[in-house]
Amino acid sequence: MGKKIAIIAEHGNGKVKPITYELYTMVKKIQELSPFKYEIQFFILGQDTELLAHSISANTGENTHSVNIPGVAHYNGSLYKRILSALFTKEKFDTICAPHSTSGMDYAPALAVILKGACITGVEEVRQEEGDIGFVRSLFGQKISATLVGEACPLVLTLQPGSFKPNSLKLDSPDKKNKGRVEKVVHQCNEDKMVFTGTRPSASKGSNLDKADVIVSGGRGIEEEENYQYIEMLAALFPRSATGGSRPICDYGWVKYSKQVGMTGTMVSPKLYIACGISGATQHVEAIRDAKFIVAINTDPDAPVFRIADVCIIADLTDFIPLFVEKFNRKKKAKNE
Amino acid sequence: MQLTDNAPGLKKMKLLVCVKQVMESGSIIQINDSKKWIDHLASNRFEMNKFDAYAVEEALLIKEQFPDSRIDIITVGPDHAKETLRRALGMGADEGILLADNHKGYRPPFRTATWIAAYARDKDYDLILTGIMSEDEMNGQTGPMLAEILLVPCCTGTIRETLSPDKKTVSVEREIEGGARDMFDIKLPCVLTLQTGINSPRYPALSKVLRAKKKKMNVIDVNFLEKNKQTLTLKNIQHPKKTRKGILLNGTTEGKVDQLMDILSKKALLQ
Repeated sequence: MGKKIAIIAEHGNGKVKPITYELYTMVKKIQELSPFKYEIQFFILGQDTELLAHSISANTGENTHSVNIPGVAHYNGSLYKRILSALFTKEKFDTICAPHSTSGMDYAPALAVILKGACITGVEEVRQEEGDIGFVRSLFGQKISATLVGEACPLVLTLQPGSFKPNSLKLDSPDKKNKGRVEKVVHQCNEDKMVFTGTRPSASKGSNLDKADVIVSGGRGIEEEENYQYIEMLAALFPRSATGGSRPICDYGWVKYSKQVGMTGTMVSPKLYIACGISGATQHVEAIRDAKFIVAINTDPDAPVFRIADVCIIADLTDFIPLFVEKFNRKKKAKNE
Repeated sequence: MQLTDNAPGLKKMKLLVCVKQVMESGSIIQINDSKKWIDHLASNRFEMNKFDAYAVEEALLIKEQFPDSRIDIITVGPDHAKETLRRALGMGADEGILLADNHKGYRPPFRTATWIAAYARDKDYDLILTGIMSEDEMNGQTGPMLAEILLVPCCTGTIRETLSPDKKTVSVEREIEGGARDMFDIKLPCVLTLQTGINSPRYPALSKVLRAKKKKMNVIDVNFLEKNKQTLTLKNIQHPKKTRKGILLNGTTEGKVDQLMDILSKKALLQ
C-alpha cells in the first residue's frame, strides 16, 4: 500500500525558500529507506501563492496545492492551524513535513494535536530503525543524538535548516514534461482570536555585519562583559571587519541586538568568521553557514562549533587573543622596519 | 512590558507559568545501560530552564502592574523538581504545583502538555506563560501543544507583550527570521511562549526564599491524571560522532597562535 507525504513550503519576499527543497530532499531519503511507495504533495499557503506553486511543481515534478488566503500576507498562527488542519482532515497524510522555522515551530506541534498525531521538531537526519523510519535530532546541547519513531498518525515533523542539501534538484532548468499539477484552493478565513496588526523591522537592520569581510564574534564563553574587548581587539587587526555576538550575550545586554549573528539576527557570509567562546547552537551555526572560512576558539573540546569550523582551537580566548594580537603587531613592526 | 492603569472592578488575573527543571549547562552527559536515556550522576546539579525564567519574570512584571494577580508555577518532574518551583516562589510567585512523575526516561512533550492541560483545564487561567523551549531537549512543543489541547490561541517566540487595561486582550510581538517582529492582538485566555531577552529575570529575594522553603507544594501524582497515548518512541540515544571537517591545532597556546597566523596569512585573510 502506498503512503502519502505532505510538504508545507516556506516562502518569503515572493520567493520559495531553500528549506522547501531541503524538505523535499529529506522526503526522497525517506522514500529510499522505506519499502512503501510514497506519494508526495506540496502545500503553499498565503497570498499570491500560485506562481510559487508553479515553480515548486516545475522544480520537483510533484503535485502542488496553492492555498490562497486572500488578505493574509503574514503568518498568523491561529489562522494557519485552522486551515492546515482542515486541509489534512479532508485528505489524510502519513507524514507532514514542515520547516523548523519560526512559523513551522509555531504550527507543527498544534497540528499534531489537532490531527491526533505525533510531532518531532528539529529533525536533522533520517535513518532506518528496525523496519521503521527513525528521525534523528539533538538533545542536551547537541551532546546527544536521539532516534525517534512516530507511533501515531500523522507524524508531523519540522526539519532543521541546513540538514539536507538539495543537490540533486535541477532547480533552474525545469523539466516541462515532468511538471506536477497545481491545484488551486481559496480559503476565506476570519480569525478574531488572533489578529495581525503589523510588523516591526529587525534591530539588526543597518548593522555592518552583512558587508564585513571578516567577523569576530563572542559568545557565552567570554564569561564577562569586559572580555568583549578581546573580540574588538582581534577584529581591529583585520580591514573591513565587524564584531558580532551570539544571542545569549545580546540577551545579557553585553552587546546590542544589532550585533546578533543568528537566525533571529543577521545571517552572515564573510570571507572569515572567528567564533570566540561560542558553543555553536543551531540557531547560530545556521547563520554562518555561508562563511567561507570559520575559525573557532573554545575551551570545551566537545563544543558543537568544532564540527563546522575549518580551524579548531581549544584555548582560553583571554590568553589566546592577546597573544595573537601581540605577535601580529610585533611581526608587522618587524616587516615595516 | 507596558501596562496601562488597572481598571477597578475587573476580575483578578490568574497566571500559570510552566517551568522545567534541567541539568545545569556544562553537566556531564552519560548514556545509561538501556541506551535509551541518560544516567543521573551524583555530581549532576539541576536548575530552572533558563528560557522559563523569562516566563516567571514576565508574570511577576504583570503582577507588579495588576497587584491582585495570582501566579501559579507548574512543573512536571521528579521530587527534586520542587527546587525549581521554590526558586520561582523565591522570585515572587504565589503557588507551586508539582505534577510528580518519577518515570526515568524520555517523556514526549505531548505527555507533559496533556498533564499540564489536565491540571489547568478547570482553573480559569487568563494567561499561560512558558519559555520558548527547554535547554535540554529544545523541542519547543509543550507550550503550543498545551494551547491546542485547551483550545486557546498561542503565540510562540513572544518578545514583547502588553495587556489591555480591561485584561481581555494581549498585544504581542513575535520574533521571526532575521529579527523582524510580527504583531498580533490576541484574546485571552491564551498561551505565550517567550523569547529570551524579553526581560531580565530577577534573582530570588532572600525573604521570599525563606518563605518558599516553608511553603507546602501542591503535589499531584501524574498517575491520577488522564492517561495519554504514546505518540513517540525513543529508540536510542548516542553521542554524536565527532565529525570535524576542519583541522585541530595542537601544541601550546603560543604554538597555536603561530599556526593560526600562518594559516590566515597563506589564505591572504591577514596581511
